[in-house]
Amino acid sequence: MNNLIEFFKKAFHIIVLAVLLILSIVMLGKSLSFNDYRLSRAVQSIVGPIQKSGMGMVHRFRLGPENEALVQQNIELMRTFDNMFLIKEDTILTEMSKLDSTHTKQVRLYDYTYAHVIFKTTDRTFNYMIVDKGSNDGIMRDMAVLSPQGVAGVVTDVSQNFATVRPILHPESRISAVVTPANQNGTVIWEDNDPRVAYLEAIPQHSEINIGDSVFTNGFSNIFPKGLFIGTVKEVQVGNNASFLTIKINLATHYSDIYTVYLVENLFKAELDSLKANFKDE
Amino acid sequence: MNNVLSNLLRFLLLLVAQITICQHICLFGYMTPALFLLALFLLPLELPLSLQYIIGFATGFVVDAFAHTLGVSTFACTLMMFLRPYIVRMLNGTNNNKFENIDRPEPGVKDFRWILLYTLILTSIYQISAVLLETMTVRNFGHTLLVIIGNIVFSVVVILCIEFIFHPRTKNEA
Repeated sequence: MNNLIEFFKKAFHIIVLAVLLILSIVMLGKSLSFNDYRLSRAVQSIVGPIQKSGMGMVHRFRLGPENEALVQQNIELMRTFDNMFLIKEDTILTEMSKLDSTHTKQVRLYDYTYAHVIFKTTDRTFNYMIVDKGSNDGIMRDMAVLSPQGVAGVVTDVSQNFATVRPILHPESRISAVVTPANQNGTVIWEDNDPRVAYLEAIPQHSEINIGDSVFTNGFSNIFPKGLFIGTVKEVQVGNNASFLTIKINLATHYSDIYTVYLVENLFKAELDSLKANFKDE
Repeated sequence: MNNVLSNLLRFLLLLVAQITICQHICLFGYMTPALFLLALFLLPLELPLSLQYIIGFATGFVVDAFAHTLGVSTFACTLMMFLRPYIVRMLNGTNNNKFENIDRPEPGVKDFRWILLYTLILTSIYQISAVLLETMTVRNFGHTLLVIIGNIVFSVVVILCIEFIFHPRTKNEA
């Protein structure tokens, strides 16, 4: 009996070693087999959350390149889903088909690009933003500026590498808009020095406007495509001017954390503007 | 007691470093350092053998859990802990079965050549068994060999750097 105990004392570590090695071999076999996931699942349920939070931290350092890729993807999507086309006669196809009927083709009306805001003010009366693209990148005056949430402003001045943007938060900013579902056209202006709130004016008093109604661009200005989100109705008051309502709207764009903006170019703007100029002259 | 605490702290730090940093390094596409081995290397030799095996097993298991290679590091670490006393005896050139407290496998106690050989041999044992268990095939053995050698070299360099940067100066003077 004593001998046995002695033997166990001596060989104890060998037994432990054997047990541990066999255990690891069993684990290895379990992890390699394709129909028994219980062990790996059990381990994963403990390790997973830790790894997830760790990867979140690592991911932060890679946000820059990923953000650029997403912006590119957004531009592509804007081009794809933009339904603002001019319908024109396709002369080549009409000629080739040698039929009496004319064929039409679609000509794109707007093109999209993006830039990053490098300077901005939101707390003044005359606010402005500067973006990091200029005439070298094809930015021109009167291009529309969109934030990821909706309309942000208009390009007012362009240098070679930078451009100045006049946001909605500017007393001279005027954006023609339509409020749905009442379908009344008006103009969005900014008065209160509050970067979250603007006014929608020139809506007739008889129209039925409810709080929460959406305000979109109506595409009359040649700057903004039709149907871009501006904000939602916050307050409706019968104003001093008896024929119009005073409507306060919550702006969709978060000017406090605006960084990436999309710029919209109206490819036919010069042509349309010359027509309008003629109209004024007469 | 102080010794136990410093060892635990070392294990914790090296495991966190392994899991968060070293595991994600893939130099030239295949070289990944096994920094956590340093914690096992610096374990006191006079600990009961069975406890050493269990520590090796547990360390390997934690590394495996985060690397999704269950059993690989666990086996390799346990094997390495089993062979460690024999390697030390071989390097010391004695057949003494009892390790004294003075016989620590640390810089300052041992000279650089001893530490280098000790690290190299034990890392080789770990990497050879781990890589072979992980690939589980003899196909494309040239590449497997490359991975083993690359891992050994990278691990040894990283381990020795960390070891010599962080070892307490006072021991050297004494």
